[in-house]
Amino acid sequence: MGQAALVDNDAPVVRVQALVKRYRKQMAVDGASFSIGRGEIYGLIGPDGAGKSSLMKAIAGVLSFEGGMLHVLGEKIDSEAAAERVKGRLGFMPQGLGLNLYPELSVEENVDFFAQLRDVPPEELARRKHKLLAMTRLGNFRDRPMKHLSGGMKQKLGLVCTLIHEPELIILDEPTTGVDPVSRRDFWMILTQLLRERDVTALVSTAYMDEAARFHRLSLMFDGRVLIEGEPDVILREVPGTLVELVAESQVEALLRLETRFPQAEAVGPKLRVFVPGAVPQVARAQVEAQLEGLMVNEMQAVAPELEDAFIALLQRRQPAGQDDAQKSRLWLDGDPPKGDGDAIAARELSRDFDHFRAVDRVSFEVRQGEIFGLLGANGAGKTTAIKMLTGILPPTGGAGTVAGADMRHASQAIKERIGYVSQAFSLYQDMTVTENLRLFARIYGVPNSRLAERIGRVVALAGLSGVTTQLVSKLPMGIRQRLALAGALVHGPRVLFLDEPTSGVDPIGRRRFWEILVHLARVEQVAILITTHYMNEAEHCDHLALMHAGRVIADDTPAALKAALQQEAGQVLDIAAEPVLPALEALEQAGFADAAMFGKRIHLLARDITAAEARIRTLFAERGIQLLDIALRTPTLEDVFVYRILQQEQQEASA
Amino acid sequence: MNGGPAENRVRLYLWWSRLAAMTAKELIQFGRDTLLLIAIAYLFVFDTYMAGNVGMQLNHAVVVVHDADHSAASRELVYRFRPPYFKLGGEVLDNRAGQRLLDSGQALVALDIPPHFERDILQGKPTDVQVQVDASNTVLGFLASSYAAQIIGQYGFDQTLARLGVTERSMQNVPMIRDEHRVWYNPNQNDAWFMPIAELLTVITIMAIMLPAAAAVREKERGTIEQLLVSPLTPIQILLPKVIAMTLVILLGTAVSLFFVLHGMFDVPMKGSLVLFFAVTALYTFTTAGLGLYIATIARNLAQAAMLAILVLMPMIFLSGAWTPPEAMPAGMREAMVLSPLYHFIEMGYGILLKGAGLDVLWDSLLGLALLGMVIFGFGVWRFKRQFG
Repeated sequence: MGQAALVDNDAPVVRVQALVKRYRKQMAVDGASFSIGRGEIYGLIGPDGAGKSSLMKAIAGVLSFEGGMLHVLGEKIDSEAAAERVKGRLGFMPQGLGLNLYPELSVEENVDFFAQLRDVPPEELARRKHKLLAMTRLGNFRDRPMKHLSGGMKQKLGLVCTLIHEPELIILDEPTTGVDPVSRRDFWMILTQLLRERDVTALVSTAYMDEAARFHRLSLMFDGRVLIEGEPDVILREVPGTLVELVAESQVEALLRLETRFPQAEAVGPKLRVFVPGAVPQVARAQVEAQLEGLMVNEMQAVAPELEDAFIALLQRRQPAGQDDAQKSRLWLDGDPPKGDGDAIAARELSRDFDHFRAVDRVSFEVRQGEIFGLLGANGAGKTTAIKMLTGILPPTGGAGTVAGADMRHASQAIKERIGYVSQAFSLYQDMTVTENLRLFARIYGVPNSRLAERIGRVVALAGLSGVTTQLVSKLPMGIRQRLALAGALVHGPRVLFLDEPTSGVDPIGRRRFWEILVHLARVEQVAILITTHYMNEAEHCDHLALMHAGRVIADDTPAALKAALQQEAGQVLDIAAEPVLPALEALEQAGFADAAMFGKRIHLLARDITAAEARIRTLFAERGIQLLDIALRTPTLEDVFVYRILQQEQQEASA
Repeated sequence: MNGGPAENRVRLYLWWSRLAAMTAKELIQFGRDTLLLIAIAYLFVFDTYMAGNVGMQLNHAVVVVHDADHSAASRELVYRFRPPYFKLGGEVLDNRAGQRLLDSGQALVALDIPPHFERDILQGKPTDVQVQVDASNTVLGFLASSYAAQIIGQYGFDQTLARLGVTERSMQNVPMIRDEHRVWYNPNQNDAWFMPIAELLTVITIMAIMLPAAAAVREKERGTIEQLLVSPLTPIQILLPKVIAMTLVILLGTAVSLFFVLHGMFDVPMKGSLVLFFAVTALYTFTTAGLGLYIATIARNLAQAAMLAILVLMPMIFLSGAWTPPEAMPAGMREAMVLSPLYHFIEMGYGILLKGAGLDVLWDSLLGLALLGMVIFGFGVWRFKRQFG
């Protein structure tokens, strides 16, 4: 190989310089710059509307742009013809579950179709198809029409179709959105394996902050701009600060005090999390302690902040959050709400059959007044059916339950009158103003005319909507719309609130605002909240979690207890950094660490006996000449818990 | 349910209050939909206005002539094809050129006069002229050929009389039947009365199906139906406000069209009771909305709803007598017309507006309309409840 080839190898696969994309007057991408090296997994993280999709489409050559420079695979993309020249060497999977696939075609026909589009020779196709379908565990479903696959399987099939012509660069737009944690983990495994085998470069976008660790390098995007770019660790160093976690006796009071000094203070389940910018751990602790003078504080610890904390800090640096009206007004007119008195929701052995299919199978749980209860599970696990039964829309086939004191078997009308409901998609009227919507729902829920103005005033203050009451909903951003949906659900003062994936597509700051309100409702107003969510770090907010799988509840406890149980059963998570990393992973797999998985440039594995495992890893690496850079213990995340529980359940079913 | 009269009163009040809130919401949304407002204004005002202007009459139909005789007699015949019905489109050199003009649609009638036309007439020999008519538009073709036959016949009659030497006075001795007819209800046989009424009633039908269908499908499309279903609203409380609101809108449109376009511009008489007319219209729109609700249960989006509405509307209009009079229908279809609510509505519309008829005459149409309407509305409500109950 000559000098030229070497230089070419070092040149970035993608180079974006001050790229600008406008839709009429709307700025979608506003001067983004970054470059992606060969063999990297590069991440674009940001909320909906940050410009990720536009940027990816421009790189994939399917969207023209107005300004800046773009080089892809050594080609300067300045014309349709130039984009056409590199299209054969890249693969692009657009956003949406299986939107690029054909629902009527079988798995195999879909793959064949994409192969023919790309002129893959038949022998070559047979070989690659076999390998890719095996890797994605879709081999057994070759003849199944794509429309009958689950969300996760669709997404994996989409990946196979994107990879069938062995592109050098793959561009995946939110491949894991709406996909259950197990399929998500599968997805990342396949991606890293491909990277190991061939010199593929990947550009992947995500709305999940907790996936940031999967990337080698990433850009945090917001409002069309790249806020910060680099390796995850580097980004964290750019935003210095300490995260203080504590449990206070009087959480409400403590949170109020902390909020006056620290803009990034929030209640997460029983804990309080405070991000103290620019402070080393000792200083941060001291500052927090000073703020909580005189309150009983248990377990205070200073830890390293997460990427989401850094992201929010960066956003607030750009646009200091205007201190919107204090939203601590009460929902109920008469002073104190009823005390936390027993069960708001009780489900006993609830079942629901559809024809020959049991969607919900003997599900039992209780939610107390003032408790935030999380219902988690993949699409099709039965969450939606369970919620439909509890909200009185769908009668149960078997079992019983009470919601807000009404029996769900024959008092569905009473239930409907007593609960509030926020649906997954924003479902208020976009062609009406904020006040018109609230008025409508207040009247539907029977708020008497004499109290309309007062009720609406209260929820407007609670949800921080006072600046926008006369605006049409269609003109409001996502985050505010979701708060409006919440206000609409609260306008009649329900004591039980159902939320079905309420925060999908909302940016981190908006999500945090939303949770602030929920926490206030639960802690101060003693409202019982049942919520479903895809975001694992949101699950941490819940006081209690139930994990559903195939219609049943397979785990049901507090987040802390769930994690502790995992540590008991499966061991601790070891976080390893090694050089070179791919041979290290191979060595670990060969040595019997079956669940070793790549997380960006690091390796995670489960081990029961830490010291023994560490010793083994050290000797193993020494034998193979692999340098061990760092080995650390990590508390398992809820995602770890759920992946473990679901796989365990699947194994039990398979062996039964 | 237990609960005393006081509680029942509260329930009843709540029921009405919910209905009122939802109806207000439908009207607000309707008022914000600019495109829909334009469509409504267009249909109720401009469409009925245009219908009053484009009558089904022969209007300056182009006649081309191949005159192989070029005589005084042939010229006289040719000049009898005069405006406003006909217009001379010039002469062609041979028959084939005339055919081409018919083919290309530049002429509606081709008149072919043979050589020796005048000589044959003067000698009293029978002679033929050929009239070719483009009947691709059946009505116009029929009118053109019958007018042409009338002109030619009259010409032949005049020639015969002249040849027989019949004078004005001696005419009185020729046996002749004089046709003395009276035209009632529309004495001038003014198309500008018939057409816009038919059009207005058709527009009412389209709106009565489309508006509630659109309002219901929009809720499905945008997911707002989900929020309504978890609320204490019953399916009836969800669907009735749509029907009520849209009936109000249609009645308003009808009033504008009737007073400003039909009466204001075309002097369509309003002989009967307007109260009765609007009451019938309200009954008609309300019940026909059942079809719209049914469509909304099948369609997943607005485009599908529009397609389905057309599918329902076509036979309804076709069987209504708006386009083809009942007498012109073949036997089976004439009987089927009683199944089209629009047929009864048109009967009543004409009856009230033009004839000044009251319920004493129109009771059978009202009965037909009411029965059909109840079935349709009941069906729509049943389907809606089944899907959203």
